[in-house]
Amino acid sequence: NMALMELASLEKSLGFKKANKYSTQGNNKTPILQSNKGAPLIGLVTIASHLVQEAAQPELLGRTAEQRAVVRQWLEYRVTQLDGCPKEDIRSILKELNQYLEDKVYLAGSDFTLADILLYYGVHHIMADLSVQEKEQHMNLSRWFDHIQHYPGIRQHLPLVVVLRNRLYTGGHH
Amino acid sequence: MSEMKLFVSDGNPHCLKVLAVAELTGVKCDICHASDDERLVPFLSHPVRPVLLLPCGQHLFKANPICLYFLEVSGRDVCDLTSQWLEWEAAELQPALMQALYQCVLLGKMTEAANTLEGHLTYMEQRLSKGATPFLAAEEATVVDIVLWAALYPLLSNSSFLPDKLQCVARWFEQVNALPVCQTVAQRVQQQKSLESLKRFLQKQPLPPARCRNAPLCN
Repeated sequence: NMALMELASLEKSLGFKKANKYSTQGNNKTPILQSNKGAPLIGLVTIASHLVQEAAQPELLGRTAEQRAVVRQWLEYRVTQLDGCPKEDIRSILKELNQYLEDKVYLAGSDFTLADILLYYGVHHIMADLSVQEKEQHMNLSRWFDHIQHYPGIRQHLPLVVVLRNRLYTGGHH
Repeated sequence: MSEMKLFVSDGNPHCLKVLAVAELTGVKCDICHASDDERLVPFLSHPVRPVLLLPCGQHLFKANPICLYFLEVSGRDVCDLTSQWLEWEAAELQPALMQALYQCVLLGKMTEAANTLEGHLTYMEQRLSKGATPFLAAEEATVVDIVLWAALYPLLSNSSFLPDKLQCVARWFEQVNALPVCQTVAQRVQQQKSLESLKRFLQKQPLPPARCRNAPLCN
């Protein structure tokens, strides 16, 4: 289960010493965190945000109300649009992300947040399948992706995706 | 705060959410009705509503994060339970709901629509019957109730939609529906010939998953 592997990686990047135990529910295999302090937590975004709070790194959820809203929006985008996206719609998602990232270092602007982490996990399998030329066509997305996969502690179990920093292909192929 | 602009369109349940939560939290923003075809968010491939243009110039294009932003701006925190319900609404309920709306509103098949949603409504029924509170997340109605009310409004405002066994959901919907904020917003929507605009909204959405699309279109 991809979500459970992601949560395990996230725990490691956040510096958790002991791994939490998870289960899943429903057709979507939605992750559940059984906490010893009360009701279980359900859902990738909810659990990931909870872990960030527990690790005392709330800035990963955004520093201002506006930034938190932008972070939540991309987290929702990840679980509603990217996950389970039919093959024919992947192009349009790559295009949207590429255009959005044109003038940004991170998804929430100049600060690294949980949105970068979960979107990186979510697009990893797509990026790994792109040809060199396709990666060049989505230059902003590729630059962001390469930045995040080299961000300390984030990549964990995922294989490195080769992103060339110099263009091989020239001409405006879009 | 007055620099915020909220773009909404008729018949879109997500717009009902943000209008009701704006009402609930008392957050002030300019409400603009924009034609559905106008692209407001430059990087998105399709026009979406609602869109909140933040004072910093960024666009928020998802209803639930807009609702939580209103909540935070009005001085309240977002707790795990709120986040959990809204994630469930967006990731689990919405795909089924779009299919059910398609079946009910465009194909006129109410029983099929009820079947499509049965699992999700049963989940709500269980949460409400086991929960210690009359509303989904607290003793009083919160953003969670408003968001789910707005999402389900087009179907549950028809009182014959819910099967008898889902009594807690029925009671919950009635209670939320009776809240002044919901009444205010629902009336505004009614005046705009809600069914016709809902049909137009649905016709512009991507088709629901194949298992629904492949169902015979004739009765």
